Amino acid sequence: MIGVVTLIIGLILGYMGQRSRFCTISGIRDFYLLRDAYRFKGLIGIIIGGIIGFSIFNLVGGEFPGFPLLSEGINVEPPLLIPIMIFGAFGMAFFSTMAEGCPFRQHIMFGEGRLSGIIYIAGLIIGIIFFDIVIVPYLQLLTIVG
Amino acid sequence: MKLPKISYNFKLSANLALITGLMMGILAAAAQGYFEVQPPVGQGVCAITHPSNLVNWLVNNVFGTEFTIHGIFVAVPVLTPIGWIIGSFIAALKNKEFKIRRGPVRENLLAFIFGFLIVNLALLWGSCPIRTAVLASYGWVFAIIILATIAIGVIVACEYIKWKVRRM
Repeated sequence: MIGVVTLIIGLILGYMGQRSRFCTISGIRDFYLLRDAYRFKGLIGIIIGGIIGFSIFNLVGGEFPGFPLLSEGINVEPPLLIPIMIFGAFGMAFFSTMAEGCPFRQHIMFGEGRLSGIIYIAGLIIGIIFFDIVIVPYLQLLTIVG
Repeated sequence: MKLPKISYNFKLSANLALITGLMMGILAAAAQGYFEVQPPVGQGVCAITHPSNLVNWLVNNVFGTEFTIHGIFVAVPVLTPIGWIIGSFIAALKNKEFKIRRGPVRENLLAFIFGFLIVNLALLWGSCPIRTAVLASYGWVFAIIILATIAIGVIVACEYIKWKVRRM
């Protein structure tokens, strides 16, 4: 069931993503550099859509443990991971701006036939395997220490 | 005193990105609430953990490794990344926009390095910007802080590009 559901969600969002040129990173970039809010509204849309979806589905019997999480504060265990996570998010945003698109947009460009999108996804696949082999053991060590 | 003129373009074409974003938020909530795409929470749409789970599932099944996969995706792989590519391909084909062409990153090696580097950095945080926004809408304070960090990262990159252009 999950395979089918995720495939259908992917197809819908892939189609819409191509038609709308949706991109979270370019949204912030365009708004900052050009005051063009077209793509930035997409990022705002996720937050609004999420709030609407979580709130309504929560009322009609959906499973949302702890929603809303506001009362739990930052809630990261172990706290030692917080600077690493912030570093990771900053780096992702910085290099995604250089790559002219967020990871979602790169998948869309793959489907459009953009060569750099296809090569980017190849790098992403190798990067995932590298992360599993090299980075994960260190993170596990930090988790034990923390 | 003149009041500032406030106008909003309600045309569908001017709001397609907004509609896509709204759909992402709502579908992420529906996937979690009704199709058990959890734990962790807000896992309905993510352009980092979904490809990561899919790649790890394939590698584990082909080579017998034990790379980490979220519990929900152990038996059946997550297929959103495949859906995005096929969905985009159908949309591009239907609108006569499909064409194998270069760019936007001009150098192939650089595009590969970006993919490699970005997934490693993003996995340190554990989400893409889309899931970060979904988690922020779930009310997780840390996700709101990360969303602000992402905005700062983009602004710093923009300033770096501007500085580099001025030097040329």
